[in-house]
Amino acid sequence: MARKNISSLHLPHNKHTDNVEPVRIETPEEVVLPMDMHSGDHAIPVVNVGDRVLVGQLIAKEGDRFSSPVHATVSGTVTEISEMVDQPYRLHLHGLAYDKSGELTNKPRRSKPTLAIHIKSDGKMEKDPGLKPPVFETADEFLQAIRESGCVGLGGAAFPTWAKLNEMKNPEYKVKHVLINAAECEPYITSDQWMMIKHPDLIDKGIAYMRKYLAEYLHDADFIICIEENKPRAIEAMKETFKDQKDVKIQVLKAIYPQGAKQVMLYNATGKVSIAGKRFPYFGAVIINVSSLAKTAEYLSTGMPLVERIVTVDGSAVKTPMVLEAPIGTRISTLLSYTGLKSDPGKIIIGGPMNGTATAGIDDPIVKVSNCILAFDEKEAVLPAPTACIHCGRCVNICPVGINVASVEPALAIEDENLRAKKLIDTGIRQCVDCASCAYVCPANRKLLQANGQAKRFLKNWEKTQSNGGKR
Amino acid sequence: MNYLHVSPAPHIHSGLTTQKVMLDVIIALAPSAIVSVVLFKLKALWLILACVAAAVLCEFVFNLIVKKKQTVSDLSAVVTGLILALNLSANVKIWQAVCGSVFAIIIVKSLFGGLGKNIVNPAIGARVFMLLTFASVAGGANPDLSTGATPLAVLKEGLDGAPSILNLFLGNVGGTIGETCAIAILLGYAYLVIRKQIKWYVPCAFIGTVFVCYLVYSQSIVMAVSQVLAGGLLFGAVFMATDYVTTPISNLGKVVFCVGCGLITFAIRAFGAFPEGVSISILCMNLLTPLIEKVTKPRTLGGIK
Repeated sequence: MARKNISSLHLPHNKHTDNVEPVRIETPEEVVLPMDMHSGDHAIPVVNVGDRVLVGQLIAKEGDRFSSPVHATVSGTVTEISEMVDQPYRLHLHGLAYDKSGELTNKPRRSKPTLAIHIKSDGKMEKDPGLKPPVFETADEFLQAIRESGCVGLGGAAFPTWAKLNEMKNPEYKVKHVLINAAECEPYITSDQWMMIKHPDLIDKGIAYMRKYLAEYLHDADFIICIEENKPRAIEAMKETFKDQKDVKIQVLKAIYPQGAKQVMLYNATGKVSIAGKRFPYFGAVIINVSSLAKTAEYLSTGMPLVERIVTVDGSAVKTPMVLEAPIGTRISTLLSYTGLKSDPGKIIIGGPMNGTATAGIDDPIVKVSNCILAFDEKEAVLPAPTACIHCGRCVNICPVGINVASVEPALAIEDENLRAKKLIDTGIRQCVDCASCAYVCPANRKLLQANGQAKRFLKNWEKTQSNGGKR
Repeated sequence: MNYLHVSPAPHIHSGLTTQKVMLDVIIALAPSAIVSVVLFKLKALWLILACVAAAVLCEFVFNLIVKKKQTVSDLSAVVTGLILALNLSANVKIWQAVCGSVFAIIIVKSLFGGLGKNIVNPAIGARVFMLLTFASVAGGANPDLSTGATPLAVLKEGLDGAPSILNLFLGNVGGTIGETCAIAILLGYAYLVIRKQIKWYVPCAFIGTVFVCYLVYSQSIVMAVSQVLAGGLLFGAVFMATDYVTTPISNLGKVVFCVGCGLITFAIRAFGAFPEGVSISILCMNLLTPLIEKVTKPRTLGGIK
């Protein structure tokens, strides 16, 4: 099928760490493990203050639905189960906004506080002797095992991996492609690249497991590993690993932003167009982040759940950009003590510069999805204030899915809800992939990503209201 | 504790600002401005200075009075003043030019809400206002030339006695101070395209439409080329039909806009009472912009229509 070129940005890559070997950090003194490291319901702590825990031990079980368990990432003693202050990395989950001084500008609308388990390390990193590879025969047992691994989408969405794979069971879907997302299109981040270079065996195993145990849901599907061309070492490693496997394709994609957005990747890799409101397998494809796949395979083969991750530490305030292997829950300040700081950080970002979230506290922990920590200096920390839209059309031209971005803000200002909804649907905003390209190019510095998010939330609620016969 | 900045994503930006966009337009206008002073001497310089100063001062005072945040630094008023000045004949008196600038900034732009909210291009609005108020706006003899008639007025009667195409290129003809020299305008066009401020095909759609219409109408290539080079067509197509605010947002819409401009320009030049129709055509299409946007909205990938 004829495929048009998706509009995209050429960002400065800033992959300073693509040749810096990962370093395992020494056991941190304390880890903090929030209960909402995944999208969906919070996990529920099953340990008490004073309990001794071992690496890999279950410390919080799944919440009600779409949840994921949490495991101890160091051995030591539970010192505190605290209510967390609202952490900015949850901004996108709760729609919160902070002003410059870190004050909340709108109140959280959460029904219950987020708990976090603090573990003081004994420095021994003693593994839970009860950990052994899970036993599974059928697809359901296989999915159950993944469910217990605590694995979530490590690319950024933090959607529980088992839930994603579970969607394939719907008989309406015919999955023909499994896309392994290794694009890593955001600047700075190199953690997926290092996962591919250091642990190709785990990716190999992951694909083998899926091929074997999910066969009944994979309709002779091929596995497409999508990598951007600016990672030659990773491409080399993957080609070497899969040279004898015909159903595994290494697709080298152009290094453009937002290549890793799942809708864009689906289109660029298979030519299929995703439609908002449909689950992904509807389009005949499952997409999984390469690190998630590797971590899942690690659990399935060794029994060690998701307790550690590779995280890139970079940014203009960082002295030596590094790639660190750290237990989940390690404080950002601890990581920064390894890299050193050139200047006082003006802004700390968890995730990439385009889609990551700024945090108010340097002592915040890294969570399961934290693939990158960026410390920007004061100069880079502040973006210019928005000015009036001059209607230049750059946002419309750059949008990968062709949304009429410039019309979103005016439409949001319409009083009448039904008219507002109609105008917003007209702009195509429901297809938005949250890539922030529009905000990046805007000469007026409009906060377009926020406007788009607001529009999508409004439409979701409005549609819900419509289907309830106009009642809220 | 030392607070960190917390702001929503994205945390990096291309660095492009409205001010930089406007600065690029000013740089693109510079060749035309310089040539105007060469051709029309000091009078052109005074016109340019008067229009720009009046435009900037107006915006400054207006913002002061209505207690709006000062927007003078975005340079859009400078662009408006400069374009207006280059669109005036050397016969225009300084006080008339100042009136035009005041009209452009206060009536056409600020009262509609300032930059980005105006419906009509301020410079065009002011020029048409001046055409109707002071008749001497459009024509304008070149002080070095004996003939006072503008090339378009001559062309209206046919090719006899019309200036050569070379002279049209160099600007050795009568006309408003900025429109006569095609080379200077094309330099500005090249700069805007290279800096990616405009799409190359947008002015071409305007100019091409006029060219094709005249080719069919007069069956003469010389006539069609003369019509393209004479009058304000090049200047209007490059600097005024590409104004972001008052033209459709999508590239397709911009082309539709320019084709419409071309058709109206042709109709006025060939059949109307005025020899010139560029400003009026752009003014008309400015008003149609919301409609054009409606029919040329970008197609969203996977969007349900």
